[in-house]
Amino acid sequence: MITLTLVEQPVVPLEAEVLCPDVMASLSHEAIRALPVCLGKRQRRLDDFFRVEGEASDELEIRGDAAKIKWIGRAMTRGRIVVNGNAGMHLGAYMRGGAIEVSGNASDWVGAEMSGGLIRVRGNVGGQTGAAYRGSVSGMRDGTILVGRDAGLEVGMRMKRGTIVVSGRARDFAGLQMKGGTIILGRGAELRTGAWMVRGTIISLHPIPLLPTFAYACAYLPAFVRLYARHLGTLGFTLPCDEVSGVYARYTGDAAVPGKGEILVWNPRGN
Amino acid sequence: MATERNGVRIVDTFAEAFDMRAARVIITAATPAWARTAAQSMAGFATSVIGCKVEAGIEAELLPGETSDGRPGVSVLLFAFNAEGLASRLVDRVGQTVLTCPTTACFDGLPDASERVTVGGVLRHFGDRLQSSKFLDGRRFWRIPVMEGEFLVEEAFGVQDAIGGGNFLILGSDPGAVLAAAEAAVEAMRKVRGAILPFPGGIVRSGSKVGAKRYKNMVASTNEAYCPTVRGRVGVASALPDGVNSALEIVVDGLDRPAIERALGVGIKAACRPGVIEISAGNYGGRLGKHHFGLHELLQG
Amino acid sequence: MASDRIRITGGTVYDPANDVDGVIQDVCIDGGRIVSQLDDGRRIDASGMIVFPGGVDVHTHVAGAALNFARGLVPENHRMARKFLHGPERRAGLGGMTPTTFATGYLYAGMGWTTVNEAAVPILSAKHTHEELHDTPIVDKSCLLLMANNEIVLDLLEAGEVERARHVVGWLTWAAKVYGIKAVNPGGVVAWKWGKNARALHEPIEGYRSLTPAQIISGLAAIVDDLDLPHPLHLHCNNLGMPGNVATTIETMKVLEGHRAHLAHLQFHAYDGEGWDTMRSGATAVAEAFNAHPNLTTDAGAVLFGDAVTITADGPWQHLLYQLTGRKWGNLDVENETGCGIVPYVYKDRNLVNAVQWAVGLELLLLIDDPWRVFLTTDHPNGGCFWRYPEIVQLLMDVEFRKEQVRKLPSAAQQRIVLGDLGRQYTLSEIAIITSAGPARALGLQQKGHLGVGADADVTIYPAKPDEKGFLFSYPRYVIKGGEIVVEEGDVIAVSEGREFIVRPAYDDQIEEYIRPLFQQVYTMSFENYPVEIERLRRPELMTLGPKPA
Repeated sequence: MITLTLVEQPVVPLEAEVLCPDVMASLSHEAIRALPVCLGKRQRRLDDFFRVEGEASDELEIRGDAAKIKWIGRAMTRGRIVVNGNAGMHLGAYMRGGAIEVSGNASDWVGAEMSGGLIRVRGNVGGQTGAAYRGSVSGMRDGTILVGRDAGLEVGMRMKRGTIVVSGRARDFAGLQMKGGTIILGRGAELRTGAWMVRGTIISLHPIPLLPTFAYACAYLPAFVRLYARHLGTLGFTLPCDEVSGVYARYTGDAAVPGKGEILVWNPRGN
Repeated sequence: MATERNGVRIVDTFAEAFDMRAARVIITAATPAWARTAAQSMAGFATSVIGCKVEAGIEAELLPGETSDGRPGVSVLLFAFNAEGLASRLVDRVGQTVLTCPTTACFDGLPDASERVTVGGVLRHFGDRLQSSKFLDGRRFWRIPVMEGEFLVEEAFGVQDAIGGGNFLILGSDPGAVLAAAEAAVEAMRKVRGAILPFPGGIVRSGSKVGAKRYKNMVASTNEAYCPTVRGRVGVASALPDGVNSALEIVVDGLDRPAIERALGVGIKAACRPGVIEISAGNYGGRLGKHHFGLHELLQG
Repeated sequence: MASDRIRITGGTVYDPANDVDGVIQDVCIDGGRIVSQLDDGRRIDASGMIVFPGGVDVHTHVAGAALNFARGLVPENHRMARKFLHGPERRAGLGGMTPTTFATGYLYAGMGWTTVNEAAVPILSAKHTHEELHDTPIVDKSCLLLMANNEIVLDLLEAGEVERARHVVGWLTWAAKVYGIKAVNPGGVVAWKWGKNARALHEPIEGYRSLTPAQIISGLAAIVDDLDLPHPLHLHCNNLGMPGNVATTIETMKVLEGHRAHLAHLQFHAYDGEGWDTMRSGATAVAEAFNAHPNLTTDAGAVLFGDAVTITADGPWQHLLYQLTGRKWGNLDVENETGCGIVPYVYKDRNLVNAVQWAVGLELLLLIDDPWRVFLTTDHPNGGCFWRYPEIVQLLMDVEFRKEQVRKLPSAAQQRIVLGDLGRQYTLSEIAIITSAGPARALGLQQKGHLGVGADADVTIYPAKPDEKGFLFSYPRYVIKGGEIVVEEGDVIAVSEGREFIVRPAYDDQIEEYIRPLFQQVYTMSFENYPVEIERLRRPELMTLGPKPA
């Protein structure tokens, strides 16, 4: 286990791609302390900002308010990062494996273009969770992102596969232009959910305003939801999937494309 | 040389079984009854690869906790000589008997097998481009729109090496006693996971020999050495000891050697009952199949 | 200064312009030029190495509004591009398919190329081009002005006012501070402003009564010759990219008879077939016609498999390409003058059309007899990136390797090309011609492309053996530009500022009285702001042209 305690808040956000199990797994204590981080255009040492304990491990613990520490877990393929505090932008971007857990909030671009692994943020996240960077054809390709509270704009924008669960509420344009994948919104979203959607699934456990280009199909309990319910159950999230409790109203769209996506809105019985 | 158990003579011989490839299909449904209905339909007319192109049977009933979607289910094992054959049979059978059956979903039961064949990936075309897929945990599932709602079927199914043709013969004093012994054997063998009994009720009343002696161009013909009514005829060498008036065969296919050993073991022990005179087994002198199951060794387990 | 003097000793020198073909001899440099001998100065021991004149790229897109618009369209490419970090000598930059300006200079120099010709500049945004060329270090530069869809010029050509047209073109050339004249899809880009194209050489263009693309072509070629510009009319023919465009290309060559001309990226204009499914190589017919027209030069515009970004003034073609790919597309209109289209594209070896395109570029290079008339380019970044030129060199020099690549193509593609049957192998001397001596001569840059006394000291020294990928020319050991060592062992070690070659043709100043009222009528900017002030160019090298002797 390597423990990194933030002792000096950077004046501007710190580019810290080195905070990654793949980077640190085989490094000595001295080598970890000397890892380069970028403060603006200036290169500094990791230990200018963090007190480092431990060495040569693929388990990292980051302590402190790291809201200005960017790129934690970038492109990691293995191991674990636990952040006791907040995390900055681009958390787990390009991730391929392993797990990240954040006790506080994270910022924009969590899990952007990731292709595997698990990211869990217990608090809020910013915008563009699991999304494509500007110009890219698709966002996250696989992996799972769990958000304990609310999310910002463009959750899963252009996503291609993988699963995002927002236990709280998302803002506008959740699933914008998504081409595949599954987004689950625990407490719904604001406007224009699923705009420009091509393929994929958005499940909302709360009523949401829908674009006029989404057409009602039927009320049913899709078989595949049970698979997701089991998978997410092991991760601590309950996805309703039994006919006794309710059904999902299925809306297909976005007809403007025309897309083959779907938005499933949970309708509890007794409503 | 023979051993005895419960007064039944166990011939010191072996069953000769063959290399096969197998797949496992898990069918879930709203109720155990519907899962069983689909499974029985799927595993029907699948007694021997020779005439049916595949051998299949119900392996076990599964509890909701044991299935991917948390519903009651049934697992079916299918055996054929090669993966291409299995693939075609799976597509045909899942398409005609599981897709068509209310409330079912269909999953691969050999997720660790490295060789995969495409099943859902072919059946998806039934959706006429209205189908969609979901990718979860490295597995792809197809959702095919049907009148009832949606049929969920896994894209690819695993294929593994397996063994087919494990067997033993029950020789007894009369058909009733032999059948009762065979039924008892079947009841015990059905509890063994990894093995299935492809024949009706698990029992073969018409065990066969390779080819024919008196006709040309036959794949198989009656195993005259064990047929009681032709004992003593000119040109027939009978293997039936004195007192035997009827014989039945139990055939078992299994995913591996231990499964077949377990199944044969519990089956033979259950068949050693009053009215049974001898337990034997079928083989070709060890020349055709590479898996040999010695009856004495099985009873030591 | 002693540092101005360099002796390159013991290298195997290829200087085809001066009939030096692989001779071990010294090359001496003093004060930025080649001299006949030196007694002192820094000595570079080039034993066992190959000495070439610095590369000259006769057709590339590296600076200006279109290229910058393309940069904006592909942010995902920048994330994957090679990064140039800033250092004491170097500015920061990004490589990739649309490199930033500083990186462009470093990449070209790093490859051993020392002169580049930006092939397409609209007058309206010429200032932008000069700004970016200014920021393109090390290499010397020239650029070509888009003229074949300029509505003032087209109106004059239609009216038959050839002399007035010549003065207008002369005035525009000097106003834009450029080196030569470019024609792209004559008539087609102006038709695109109506959503149309100009596919037939001898039919009137959309919006005009009688003017045909052929008349624009011959009119401009005559004007360029009459203005005595050092480089002939540089022409991107009609029907670029279309199956069956062999006929247009050969007809264009006929239209050009009696004039000099340079046909740009000939590969894109050498397709046979009736449609996309039957498209095949037309290189044999095009090469044969080209060989028979000694007044013409051309550049290959070869395609390489992999990523590219197509950037061209040929707006209607780009719209078609967008419809074929269904992905990103950018389109710009330049009022009264031209336009441009941008489509990021990937050439795939499994794609039959792309496989034919890949073969055609090489076929032209092999079937055109005279290496002095055909030059190595990929129409960067349309066919492939310029820093992949070494791959083409390998394909030209190694017939076994080339045939092996042909065998890897889908068999349906192999039946549509002739490349597998061609056994010619380029010699090093011929490579020096198509990458340096030939383009320099075609551009009329007499001090470039050779190592004779008085030439600019642009010298590239390569290791004699190919690198582990089989490329001979990827990493020069030394690159000398204007007598200064700028690259050593593949690294840029010094950054100099290149010059920009411009011409001032002879024209009647009074023509401005004709242009001004027209301009004020149809343009949205003020006439005073239109010409580029000479002060905007940091190191112009001006060639003033007199009127052509009668």
